[in-house]
Amino acid sequence: MANERNGFLPIKTNTFDRIFISVVLFIAISLFWMRFVEAYAPLWVAVLLSAVLGQWIIRKG
Amino acid sequence: MRNSTTGWLLIAPTLFILFITGFVPFIYVLVVSFFDWNTFAQNPEPTFTGADNFRELVFDKAFLKSIWLTLKFTAFVLISQLVIGLFLARMLLRNVPLKGLFRTIHTLPLMIAPIAVGATWRLLTVPGLGPIPHYLKSWFGIDYILSRFPDQAFATVVIMDIWHWTPLVTLTLMAGLSNLPEEPLEQARIDGASEWRIFWDITLAFLKPVLLTTIFIRLMDALRTVDEVWMLTGGGPGAETRFIGLHIWRVVFPKTDYGYGSAMSLITLYLTIVMCWLLYVAMTGMKENKA
Amino acid sequence: MKRGLFQSTAVTLIFWLCMSALTLLPVWWMFLVSVKSRADLFGKPSFLVDTAKMTWANYAEVLSNPSFQKYMINSLIIATSNAVLVSVLALLAAYAMSRFRLVGRDNIFFWVLTNRMAPPAVFLLPLFLMFTAVKIGDWSLFDSRIGLILLYCVFNLPFAFWLLQGIVDAIPKELDEAAYVDGASTFTVLRTVIFPLARPGLAVTGILTWVFAWNEYLFASTLTSVEARTITTGLAEFVTVTGTNWGQLAAVAMLTLAPAALVLALVQRHIVAGLTFGAVKG
Repeated sequence: MANERNGFLPIKTNTFDRIFISVVLFIAISLFWMRFVEAYAPLWVAVLLSAVLGQWIIRKG
Repeated sequence: MRNSTTGWLLIAPTLFILFITGFVPFIYVLVVSFFDWNTFAQNPEPTFTGADNFRELVFDKAFLKSIWLTLKFTAFVLISQLVIGLFLARMLLRNVPLKGLFRTIHTLPLMIAPIAVGATWRLLTVPGLGPIPHYLKSWFGIDYILSRFPDQAFATVVIMDIWHWTPLVTLTLMAGLSNLPEEPLEQARIDGASEWRIFWDITLAFLKPVLLTTIFIRLMDALRTVDEVWMLTGGGPGAETRFIGLHIWRVVFPKTDYGYGSAMSLITLYLTIVMCWLLYVAMTGMKENKA
Repeated sequence: MKRGLFQSTAVTLIFWLCMSALTLLPVWWMFLVSVKSRADLFGKPSFLVDTAKMTWANYAEVLSNPSFQKYMINSLIIATSNAVLVSVLALLAAYAMSRFRLVGRDNIFFWVLTNRMAPPAVFLLPLFLMFTAVKIGDWSLFDSRIGLILLYCVFNLPFAFWLLQGIVDAIPKELDEAAYVDGASTFTVLRTVIFPLARPGLAVTGILTWVFAWNEYLFASTLTSVEARTITTGLAEFVTVTGTNWGQLAAVAMLTLAPAALVLALVQRHIVAGLTFGAVKG
């Protein structure tokens, strides 16, 4: 497929794949956060964290 | 190629109907999951509550348990169906009289309505009426009561699913096996490789695409099993066979707690998509396979 | 090659005879229960028909029950209309996909197929809310046959679309090009060229979508209440409402699975391809 590239992820991905992975991770992190961490740190930290992670994946993945 | 406007006109009704029945409900669920909306509550109007539904959801014991049960069920049926299906496929490829008839009979469960499959197995397992409890008692002295023993209920649901869906695995793997190239097999035999080695290294390697497709489809179906289980055990005893679809449909839905139910539906969809996607990646594109 | 005892034809034959018995046994047992009177139900199970005591009373009772007649007619109407609707729409769509250059063709195809993969339980809530919201005067989409006919498209249409796509692709383009040169309209080409050639494929599509629609339970139970109930919901009601009338339950279940079993031989070659989205040819 066009636009595929080899980043640090273990698979070849195009932009859509990387956005998809970021969204999946965002949801997973948020749910995990609400279950285990939210008593100690507010949810927006998780959102920030996933935003940074997503940015990194979309750029370099 | 002809004028594409005509093409769009021809495909438009299909896309329109799927948009209404498939896409709109998805958006609806997505939006409602962020609201507190219960038509029987004091405030029947939807109120935006952010992620509160999800916050409640991750601590919901019943929900987490039904997810766990669904995964357990999926793992059990997938593995047993693959093993049995592979064995049956090899048996069915042998030359045997009446092969066509056996194949047709073996295909029968696939066409039966899931709800009727549930009814069939319920009739087999009703205490006092069905043969299964009768013979388990008189031959092995086992008390078989679905409504009392969770392990028996779970095992019966798994066996029912094996009866219902193994034929699909058999038929797909049979198609895969009959397309195997002869040459590498012959070569390996000449080289004196054992039948087991041939099976592991050659047959399974060639079978991999078909195998993964089969797993993919069975995974999707197993995750959404509802009808048969409802008919056979009603999700019981207690909630021991209440899989996620059943949980949403029988427990959350009647409470008219639309926001919470939507959030739960969304998470279920999320898990389904993620699992199918991971499998799809395994199927098509790990790097070392492409290199 | 040397063949051991385990590989011999006789062993294989015996094995498959046993397997077939195992496959048929649950259905056979259900049939036995359906032809027993209430008094004979319990006791030592026997897998033979007791011709002296055999009775068709369960079937007679079920078939003369007005609400059950209604369920049956509903199921027939819904499954048949849905199969026809889906086959026609899918043929048009498959033709468009096969012969016209559509932007984003692969994405459309993928999106259409994902509709069949989603778990139905997830969409019960929004569909219920949507269905109850659509009202024209006294008529509501909820508990209407039209609602179910349209809704069953969500899983049948992608399937039929995919199946017919392969069939239309196999029809040589030269045939319809020749007709266009003769001045035929798209509709004429579809009617005189594509339809006759795709007829066997359409028959398989129609039969399989009919069976899928007939078998559906979850949507039917949630989106109907009285008027549009189908035979599958009728079957489920036997367990939840009356509970113990096993003979009639078995009779209804037999009637529910009968049509699918009858067409089995006709379509069995296509079931595998159908259930795996053509990833595996049967």
